[in-house]
Amino acid sequence: MRAGAAVYRRLATATLRGRVTQPAGFVLRTLGTGLVVVTEIVGVVLVVERFGSLAGWTAPEVVLLVGLGAAGQGLGLVFGDRLEPSFFSEVVRKGSFDHVLTRPTSPLGWMVASYVEVRFLGRVAVGAGAVAWAADRAGVDWTLSRLLVAVMAVACCGVLVFAISVLGGAFTFYTVEGSEVVNIFTYGGVSLSCYPMEIYGPGLRAVFLWVVPFALAVYVPALVLLGREGPPGLPAVLVWLTPAATALFAGLAAAGWRTGIRHYVGTGS
Amino acid sequence: MIEVAGLRKEFRTRRGQVVGVAGVDFQVAAGEFVGYAGPNGAGKSTTVKMLSGILTPSSGRITVDGLVPAKHRRQLAQRMGVVFGQRTQLWWDLPLFDSFDLVRHLYRMPASTWRRRLDELAGLLDLGPLFSQPVRTLSLGQRMRAELAAAVLPTPRVLFLDEPTIGLDVEAKAAVRDFLRELNRAEGTTVILTTHDLDDITQLCSWLMIIDHGRLIYDGTVDRLRDVYGTTRVLVVDLVDDVRVEVEGAATVRAEGRRRWLQFARDELSAAELIARVLDRHEVVDLTLVEPDIEDIVRRIYRGETAPTSG
Repeated sequence: MRAGAAVYRRLATATLRGRVTQPAGFVLRTLGTGLVVVTEIVGVVLVVERFGSLAGWTAPEVVLLVGLGAAGQGLGLVFGDRLEPSFFSEVVRKGSFDHVLTRPTSPLGWMVASYVEVRFLGRVAVGAGAVAWAADRAGVDWTLSRLLVAVMAVACCGVLVFAISVLGGAFTFYTVEGSEVVNIFTYGGVSLSCYPMEIYGPGLRAVFLWVVPFALAVYVPALVLLGREGPPGLPAVLVWLTPAATALFAGLAAAGWRTGIRHYVGTGS
Repeated sequence: MIEVAGLRKEFRTRRGQVVGVAGVDFQVAAGEFVGYAGPNGAGKSTTVKMLSGILTPSSGRITVDGLVPAKHRRQLAQRMGVVFGQRTQLWWDLPLFDSFDLVRHLYRMPASTWRRRLDELAGLLDLGPLFSQPVRTLSLGQRMRAELAAAVLPTPRVLFLDEPTIGLDVEAKAAVRDFLRELNRAEGTTVILTTHDLDDITQLCSWLMIIDHGRLIYDGTVDRLRDVYGTTRVLVVDLVDDVRVEVEGAATVRAEGRRRWLQFARDELSAAELIARVLDRHEVVDLTLVEPDIEDIVRRIYRGETAPTSG
């Protein structure tokens, strides 16, 4: 990003200043994204407690997974929410993206900064809180390295969610029309990967490991935090692959975005 | 400044391949004020979007100030300004001044240069009183002046304008035109102007290109074109009775019901004189004076009334 971070910070500030015209709504929306996570977690606890455990995982252990995933997803959506086709197609259709391309800045940087969605910090906060609560219940011994693993998990999950949004945006350059397909991955993918992988068959496990490596970003780090070995084929030691796999996926998304821009046709006039 | 050779752009749609620009060649020298006209869907905007790096050409070659737009997009953006008709590049919910401040940072202008430039532009375009108003509260005319200021604030070498006067009232149009003329004269900014408005072209441009169905059908001076189309106007007359109209100095070129289209030569007969002659002989319900428009000129070029492309 040649223009330097300061420019993007200013763009983001401008966006936020435009929005604080209704501070009450802003606060409510932020609380809302947090409350959604609370209800998700309450649901998980109720269901898992009812059966005692889920594939050998206690309720707090499952909540640890859900918390890591929610925090990471919230982080990704802060930056990527508005790249998803349902919204981004509007930007393309209205011709606003034409102007983005006439600026001496990175189009992706522009989009992220100009459409930053701070309300998803509510999701990050509640997710982090859930991790803290669950770790306490599950008896996690917080060492510096475990803390780093937790932070890395949230960061990598966030990058993956953001990268999927970027791919969704790139897809929009071709279709110009909105599509909910991407939500299957950004919302659906994270939700599914926030359960013990033991409950899934080899097909789904392979997807979360080799296609969209959510399992490496959420499940495997959780194994490390909880001191679990992990099932055959999905050992805790894979945590060393997490940053590289995430970076690789992000690289693919960036390449997809650049290809998309070359095929950008915008609207007719 | 601008060189275009064999430029083509095809779009894939559900109905198959659509050709937006079908092989266009032209050159624009630095400091020229060029009009780019044509009917709707002729390929005007598509060309401008390729020149400004928004669209990647299907084939052909473009250089703008020595840069290949789609490849050196950001570098070109630093030296280029754009105003696209009814779309805004300002920050809608913020006071106008903030947009200019953001432009300063986007284009990394030194604060003192920026300040001087902004003061100058605010004076020329009468923007000072609007600085504290949110952009969304500006009238179209005010906003267009603000758009122009934002586009030329970083002192671009080339300016692309897509229908900058569309929807403006006479006064606002005049303000925009005066500003553009002065900018081109004083700073030598190369301007490419796409428009539907023949007055924009005759008042501002020295050179004109007309595109139709993705091809250039005219590439020459505005004066030469004016020699041909500028000589005739049409008076539309609604008669009380369905009768033949014969007036000296005008020819009936079309008749429908009680409506007649009378074509007359601008420099031989004034509209007032013609109207007097018509009223003298006929009972008239209504009169309209029609100036030639761009579609008109395109039709005439096809009929061979003016020599086509000349360098």
